[in-house]
Amino acid sequence: MDGFLDLLSLPAVQRSAIGLLIAAVGLPIVGVFIIGLDIIAVRFAMMHVALLGIAVGLLAGLDPMLCGLAACALAGAGVAPLARRPTGLPGAMGLLMTFAIAAALLVLSVSGVNATGAFELLWGSILATREIDLIVLGALTVVVHVLFWRWRRQLALLLFDRELALCSGVAAGPLLLALLVVVAVAIGASIRLTGALLVDALTVLPALGARNLGRSLRSIVLWAVVLGVVGNTAGFAVALLIDQPPGPVLVLVAGTLTLLTYLIPEGARDAIDPGRRTDRGGDPVAAGQRVWQH
Amino acid sequence: MTAAITFTTVTCRYGRHTAVDAVDLDVAAGEHVALTGANGSGKTTLLRAALGLHPTAAGTVTVGGESARSGVEWARRRRDVAWVPQRLAPGRFPLLVDELLDSGGHPDAARAAARQLDVGGLGRRPLHTLSGGQLQRVFLARALGAVTAGARALFADEPTAALDFDGQEQVATLLAKLPVTVVVVSHDRAMTRACDRVAEMAAGKLRVI
Repeated sequence: MDGFLDLLSLPAVQRSAIGLLIAAVGLPIVGVFIIGLDIIAVRFAMMHVALLGIAVGLLAGLDPMLCGLAACALAGAGVAPLARRPTGLPGAMGLLMTFAIAAALLVLSVSGVNATGAFELLWGSILATREIDLIVLGALTVVVHVLFWRWRRQLALLLFDRELALCSGVAAGPLLLALLVVVAVAIGASIRLTGALLVDALTVLPALGARNLGRSLRSIVLWAVVLGVVGNTAGFAVALLIDQPPGPVLVLVAGTLTLLTYLIPEGARDAIDPGRRTDRGGDPVAAGQRVWQH
Repeated sequence: MTAAITFTTVTCRYGRHTAVDAVDLDVAAGEHVALTGANGSGKTTLLRAALGLHPTAAGTVTVGGESARSGVEWARRRRDVAWVPQRLAPGRFPLLVDELLDSGGHPDAARAAARQLDVGGLGRRPLHTLSGGQLQRVFLARALGAVTAGARALFADEPTAALDFDGQEQVATLLAKLPVTVVVVSHDRAMTRACDRVAEMAAGKLRVI
């Protein structure tokens, strides 16, 4: 235990713990968006798109990471029109991935930059978290929460059925565009901040577990954040206690939590639903009866 | 307030297949028209085209004399026309009945209608846990909320297909009383009897009976 406390007193470990907590509050919501849009391959796609952006940045003498994030944002916006087709987005992620890696390798070859060096720029580690990384993670978390809580009703309709959303007055196109850009940039930045393996543990795994627990988009998001915080805290603590790399330990803990959610019976979900409340009841308003009672 | 609906040489295609073939139909303000016809005759596609959910290869649809081309105009059209769809996509996340009722534009009216359609106690139930009949009643309640919110017309696509006989009568009576223009796709006799006029579609073409 003394060794655990000694580790926690190290500034790098403290920054990592803070980074994981911030990520646990924001990135699971990105995971909910990813599952809702059926784009689980987005992590692989954005990794390669970011690499293409880095390659272009190195070729043009610009900040490679900024170019990588810009490429992710452009790619997210670029695939938005494909969402009109029923299988458009999942297919687009595969296309994007193969297209981007080929283009990145070509650009790297033309620019004469070592591909491994470019990959290293992209590859982060939670133990190497810097203060600027915490600021970026914090900003991402704020953007994701604003997007969700400001437009949660519209998002619930959009993620359920695009046509229902359209016929309910939701600006489905712009909202989907915003969603894809935020997901793409969040994934691109997270890979740099936490490493590729951890991105799945911070995004998709809590969302998958939450889908087994929640009965509405709101309750799924709340459960995803709870699972994210519990998984990250427990995973990081276990990694420090057994003195092993946090990435794989965090993934295993988050994966175990997700697996456990599959054991909860359907009937028990009502009782644990954070959005649970009694039926609103009340008297029908006069306006509500006017249309069809006269 | 009601709105006249005009379909002028509307043509819709799925690839090379012409689903709706130069359909002309005038529906007067406040008139209730039933669309009948065999499966695949183009009824649903015609309604979807009027809502901008299916592209038209040719022709125009006006509601209250207004056509729709830009995104803003389509948004106005969809506010103007309440919609009861034939079926829903399954959805990756659950949508609650209350959330669906709220989306029609007048939550209180939709909830009041839901109670009178015997689905008032299902507010916290996800849609995927409802029976087909319950789902249709919930969509009808939502549409009634939309009418209270200002929609001037209602498009309903087989709104009684999953209902029992009493339910079919109940919904037919309900729609007959609606003081807006109604175009309803239906094979249900109670429903077609309650309408002012019946139009039949066959192989994408329209004939008025």
